[in-house]
Amino acid sequence: MSWLSRAGARLLPAGRRDWAEAVWAEAQEVPPGWPRLAWRAGGVWLIAREAQIMRRIGTLLLFAAAAGAAAWSAWPGHGGHASVARADIAATVLLVAGLPLLARRVLGAPGNRAARWLRAGCYAAILALMPAKAAIELFLGAVPRAGIDLHTFERFQCPWPFTSVAVAVSTCHEVPGTSAGGPSWAGEVPVLFLTACFLAAVLAVTARRAPVEPATLAIGAGAGLVLGAVMYAWNPLGASSLKYQNRPWLHGSAVGVLAPLTWILLFGAPLVAGAIAGRRCPVPGDRGEASAARTWQGPAAGVVSGGVAAVFVTVFGTGTTALLVDSAWVRGLLYHGQHLTASAVYGRELFASQDVAGYAFLCAAFPIIGLLMGVAGAGFAHATGALPDGGRPPGPPGPPGPEPLPDPPDGGRLADAEADLDRLPGRYDDGEGDQGPPRLVGAGLERVR
Amino acid sequence: MSRREFSPQTLSVLGALCDQPSRWQHGYALATMTGLKSGTLYPILIRLADRGLVEACWQEEARPGRPRRHLYRLTAGGLASATGALAASAARRPGGRDARQPIRRGVAAPAVR
Repeated sequence: MSWLSRAGARLLPAGRRDWAEAVWAEAQEVPPGWPRLAWRAGGVWLIAREAQIMRRIGTLLLFAAAAGAAAWSAWPGHGGHASVARADIAATVLLVAGLPLLARRVLGAPGNRAARWLRAGCYAAILALMPAKAAIELFLGAVPRAGIDLHTFERFQCPWPFTSVAVAVSTCHEVPGTSAGGPSWAGEVPVLFLTACFLAAVLAVTARRAPVEPATLAIGAGAGLVLGAVMYAWNPLGASSLKYQNRPWLHGSAVGVLAPLTWILLFGAPLVAGAIAGRRCPVPGDRGEASAARTWQGPAAGVVSGGVAAVFVTVFGTGTTALLVDSAWVRGLLYHGQHLTASAVYGRELFASQDVAGYAFLCAAFPIIGLLMGVAGAGFAHATGALPDGGRPPGPPGPPGPEPLPDPPDGGRLADAEADLDRLPGRYDDGEGDQGPPRLVGAGLERVR
Repeated sequence: MSRREFSPQTLSVLGALCDQPSRWQHGYALATMTGLKSGTLYPILIRLADRGLVEACWQEEARPGRPRRHLYRLTAGGLASATGALAASAARRPGGRDARQPIRRGVAAPAVR
């Protein structure tokens, strides 16, 4: 049983292993039979409880269900490029499952609730993108039969006579009414690389060893959600300049408000997040440590805000594009009051699907913009909020503290200064307690009495 | 001292530790005195130790063929907190069960003098 106890104790954090070993050691004192078995069962329960095994199992099952549902939804049928799509799905799931395990060993687990929520949101976004991307790729590769749809397709796929884009060249020569392919490694590898970089950045920022405060993560995520929501409202079907197709639900006046607001928030949200995170960061009393801590919080808040905004727009924009053809509810929401023929829906889906690649640019550019603006915000906070008392945030001085306690009279002691257990009321003296267990280690064991 | 009131099980453990505050006690002895199972007793001890109310250590040398045992006793702060909590509990339930008594029936507890 000793190996079992050691194996079980390994599941626990370092500070808890002694307790598990204590239960197993104490089992030797319990009468054999059912009482000892019940005692050991309590030890197993203690390990399960302290190691949060039920929570881990629940998280694992939830992740497995979400990953399985996403993979099942995105899984391609038979076709020329089905193998690429399947490998892409498998690689994405392995990435989302394996990279956090690697980061846990190198950087540590998430240290707070904000970090856990941010990670969960990132996993959910990556998994949600899988079926949406698979649905859109059907339209990216399908060549319309004739008419305006074919004209639209050729306009996007063959914009120049001698295009240098390999995918465009391959699809330009497909026969109308056929499928031009679907995913290719030339397109999937960069997306996988970007996903890995994005996930690694999230794992690094939210790791226990990262010097990022939970408030910084919350501030950055909040700013990113605001930016993402405004940008999605402005362009629910993509981020290109195709005005009519990309913002069908907005009238001119609303576009006039949201367009400049999006640009302001793109730079202003991480700037403000960085400044706020830098100012409110709780830091130790040392002035140098305070400055260093603030140096981390601003850029971190900026990166988080940019990343969250990019992911928000990507997931919702891609999802809306993917649902445009299949969901009447989405079409009614986007084109309320309009009756769209099947051909019109198809054409608009073609338009929108061309913009999906722009989301990759957003996911790369927004965190960089956020980083730069977060640095600027932290610098602004540092410049305007001097650290007068070793890191105390500037502001009106608080009320005066309590007066120092007067010195006790000669020979007296302050209450509770050194509590003497022997003199406390309720001390039970039965003669055995005077001895104490012999040969003990630990503080105060030299003299138990 | 404490933000929340102690549960009856925790009060029972505190009562057992309070009887001989300076004496190190084993987990099985505490379980016998309180009537708690190990799966309940040790999480309580862990929480009390986390809050600085209980200190723990390992026996230096074990008996032959037996592993070293883990020992527990109240800290000075823990004793003050336990005394207050037990007094408050007794005041709230003047005719009720003493928190120091085992909370489960049928469990033989050593006489507390």
